[in-house]
Amino acid sequence: MISKKIKNIFHAVRKEALKNKVQATLSYHREKSHLMRIGNNSVSLNTSEDLIRMDIKVNIGRKQGTHTQMGDITSETYAKKALHLAIEKTKNSLDLDFDPIPDVIEEDFVQKEQYDKKLETLDPAFKQTAYKKIIDTFGSGYNFSGSWSSGSTENFFITTQNENEAYHLLTDQNFSIVLKHPKKMWELTSTQTGWRKSDFKTNGTIKLFKALIPVYEKKGGFKVKPGKYTIVLGPTATAEIMEMALWTGFWGRTWEEKRGWTTNKKPGDKVLGSNITIIDDPENENTFKFKFDMSGKKRKEFHICKSGILKNLMYDSQTAALFKKKPTGHNIGSMSMTMKSGTGNSSFLKEIKDLGTVLYIPALHYINIPNPSEGIFTGSSRFNAVLIKKGLIVSPIFSTRITDTFQSVFGNVKTISEESVSVNLSNTYGRRSPVAVSVPSYMVTEGIKITDCADSF
Amino acid sequence: MNEGIKKKIIENIDKLLAKKAEYVDVRLVTEDNSESIVLYDGNLEGNDTTFENGIGIRTLFDGAWGFAATSNLSKLDECFDLSFLNAKSAAKLVNVPLKMGKKKGHTGSYKSPVKKDPFRVNLKDKIDFLKEIDKNLQEEWIFKRYISANMQKKNQIFFNSEGTIIDRQLTDIFATMMVMGIDNDGEMQRRSHELFSYGNGTRGWEMLTKPDLFSSHSGRIKSELASLIKAESLKYGKKSVILLPGQGWLQVHETIGHPLELDRILGYELSYAGGSFVTLDSFGKLKYGNEKLNVSAYGGFANSPGSFGFDDEGSPERDYLLIDKGILVNALTSRAMIREANEKAGRKVFSESGGAARSTAFYRAPIDRMTNVNILPGKDGTLENIISNTEDGIIVDNPTSWSIGSNREHFHFGCEIAWEVKKGKKTKILRNPTYQGHTVEFYNSLAAVGDKSTWRVGQVDNCGKGEPNQAMELGHGVPVIKFDNVITGERK
Ligand SMILES: [Zn+2]
Repeated sequence: MISKKIKNIFHAVRKEALKNKVQATLSYHREKSHLMRIGNNSVSLNTSEDLIRMDIKVNIGRKQGTHTQMGDITSETYAKKALHLAIEKTKNSLDLDFDPIPDVIEEDFVQKEQYDKKLETLDPAFKQTAYKKIIDTFGSGYNFSGSWSSGSTENFFITTQNENEAYHLLTDQNFSIVLKHPKKMWELTSTQTGWRKSDFKTNGTIKLFKALIPVYEKKGGFKVKPGKYTIVLGPTATAEIMEMALWTGFWGRTWEEKRGWTTNKKPGDKVLGSNITIIDDPENENTFKFKFDMSGKKRKEFHICKSGILKNLMYDSQTAALFKKKPTGHNIGSMSMTMKSGTGNSSFLKEIKDLGTVLYIPALHYINIPNPSEGIFTGSSRFNAVLIKKGLIVSPIFSTRITDTFQSVFGNVKTISEESVSVNLSNTYGRRSPVAVSVPSYMVTEGIKITDCADSF
Repeated sequence: MNEGIKKKIIENIDKLLAKKAEYVDVRLVTEDNSESIVLYDGNLEGNDTTFENGIGIRTLFDGAWGFAATSNLSKLDECFDLSFLNAKSAAKLVNVPLKMGKKKGHTGSYKSPVKKDPFRVNLKDKIDFLKEIDKNLQEEWIFKRYISANMQKKNQIFFNSEGTIIDRQLTDIFATMMVMGIDNDGEMQRRSHELFSYGNGTRGWEMLTKPDLFSSHSGRIKSELASLIKAESLKYGKKSVILLPGQGWLQVHETIGHPLELDRILGYELSYAGGSFVTLDSFGKLKYGNEKLNVSAYGGFANSPGSFGFDDEGSPERDYLLIDKGILVNALTSRAMIREANEKAGRKVFSESGGAARSTAFYRAPIDRMTNVNILPGKDGTLENIISNTEDGIIVDNPTSWSIGSNREHFHFGCEIAWEVKKGKKTKILRNPTYQGHTVEFYNSLAAVGDKSTWRVGQVDNCGKGEPNQAMELGHGVPVIKFDNVITGERK
């Protein structure tokens, strides 16, 4: 938890900014991160990082600049030096041709409801024991690899606009394991996420592998011919396609600049199928909850797409200033994207027993967007992907490429699962900043284009 | 270097050796600065700096790595202890012990060739320079303009328990300019240019201000965009594809570089980046491409982000062939990975580390990365020669999208622009080009490799890999390359 001393330093820097007649946002970010990697049935890396960053954003009239410093934030002189660096670079910059909207913390915010001390201080032995149990259950005849990230993220910020403080403390974990057959080369995976230590259950992974291994052991890979198929998309695939559809279709910036697939549509127009509803819901327990964004704006339930109708576009404050719109609480921070569940039986095999040939693709590897204007995305199957006939799993499928549009995938959904699950979409490229979305455990979508398939998994 | 800290580091390394650590290495980063300037439609939307410093410690104990990092140097002793404890707890689950082998300690230093440190150039001068280019990009019909420059400077000292001490000062500079326009169907098209080099010269601020490498391309991308927004879309079909270096570097990156990272081949990257279709058995045997394909690592370039003197294990960067006349002969390697590979293969597949163990920050442990992965110039002449020998094809440049199979066995790329080639002549510009293929089949259909006049070094500042994730800088020297019988465009 942030100490009184550091808070005082931030307030002293705020005073210094006011004295210098500049607008400033002063943020503190601390991560206590742990990650265990598994490779070749062994722990290949066991790493801990304790990192503190100070972010300073300065506005002087229409000029702006930011400076981030990682190092000794326990000294007031050091912190003030960082402020002056930011002021200096802002002074030397250019006037924007629009008036930036200053950060304002709308009320005092304190949020730590998703904090679990047990997860923050988790002994690496806990992870190692769990991995060992899974490996021992199936034997080292298979090749296991994986990674398990856990830790806490603490955000605190103040602005020169008022006296309010914003504070957020969160723990999160992101577990993955891959089981690979060393000769046949197929791969299975299991992932788990959550903010509590108890969200992880070794048996969940064991149960999943036990269900899939017999199919993979008995049958060779199926090479899918290019063409149109009925596909059951699992939660990870749904989450990733949804995330890309949101970036290219529902962001104010993309829309205003005519770069996305909703360019010729406006709020009130039908853009997806009538059974698709997407909400940014900061109260959703399947997501990492933020009741404010990084500009200090209060966040509440925000309808993006309701029954296929484009309801609202998301604006960060820079885009809002540029295009003379109102910010919607979408300055970087964790969003709580939620795709509403449907009425499908929670077991998709039961749900699709009358559908004939179906491909189950739970996740897509390396999705990208060759044409955002037309909403075309592409990605290929990898883990746990199988061919199903009349509700029975027939065989695993080789690495299979889908190239289709967001409008088609979310426009031809036949069934949506009644069950919602959490998918962790965090990465660890920059600072720790956990993000998870809530999606149905599966959706059945028809007429989806398969454009290529390898001769191997 | 502060002698007090140096002494403390060496004492702590000795302390861990006394506790039976097999190997320890330390990266003390005294300065890791980056600056990013972004002009969007003339507005300075990005004016950001980040300064980092700290220490990262890696300990090998009983065949397992522990790592710990801190930005607070007053906690140095604790950080060493934590790294050791992490290794000890990791060692409780080891089936394949990692080994570094024994090497003699050595000292060394490296400094990127720089005339003008970009961090000592006034911000105002940097902005003025970019603003001038922005002015040249401005036209009534151009919808959006984008210019960015990204500068990096890292000073670090490497220590290991063998007594090696390496001092390095790395400077990199990256830049992009882009223009966007609305086509006949109301869709956005774009054309861009990225700062590149010919493999020699210096890499300070002066590199960016050399007109032939950057600013002089503004007129070209504008006129190409003007044609692009009036062009028709590329149709689905099978034809020759000629990759200009602006696209060729990514083709090499994704389908030669990544699959040849030894940690990927050994299965250490499966849960995130993926595996490789290459196996230990492939070395010396696999016909990766036809005899026109020669691929090297490092290439001895003076001024590429993939040239760094010594890697993050203190091994010197080596210049060697990865693919020799189409045959796969080597990989991108680090010390522990080559030992494990040789043991697994039961033969000496790799003789020494390729100097490719790299980490992006003091708080990340090194993994096998690309340095500069290059296709060597060939004997098929200039771009004009290659075009004149093409019956039915397209020329493509600059990626917009890339999606690759998890074992790098197949790929799909989208590019900014294509030029149709019919009967040896460049005819018209086509928009929304894409092409796809299967890696080994594709490189075996390599039909032409351009000469040195077509060759240039592309710079990459965002190659993602590893857990925790690391975005790395590297380079690719590539000539113009042509492939036959490639699927282009999208099936209806
Ligand atoms: Zn990469």
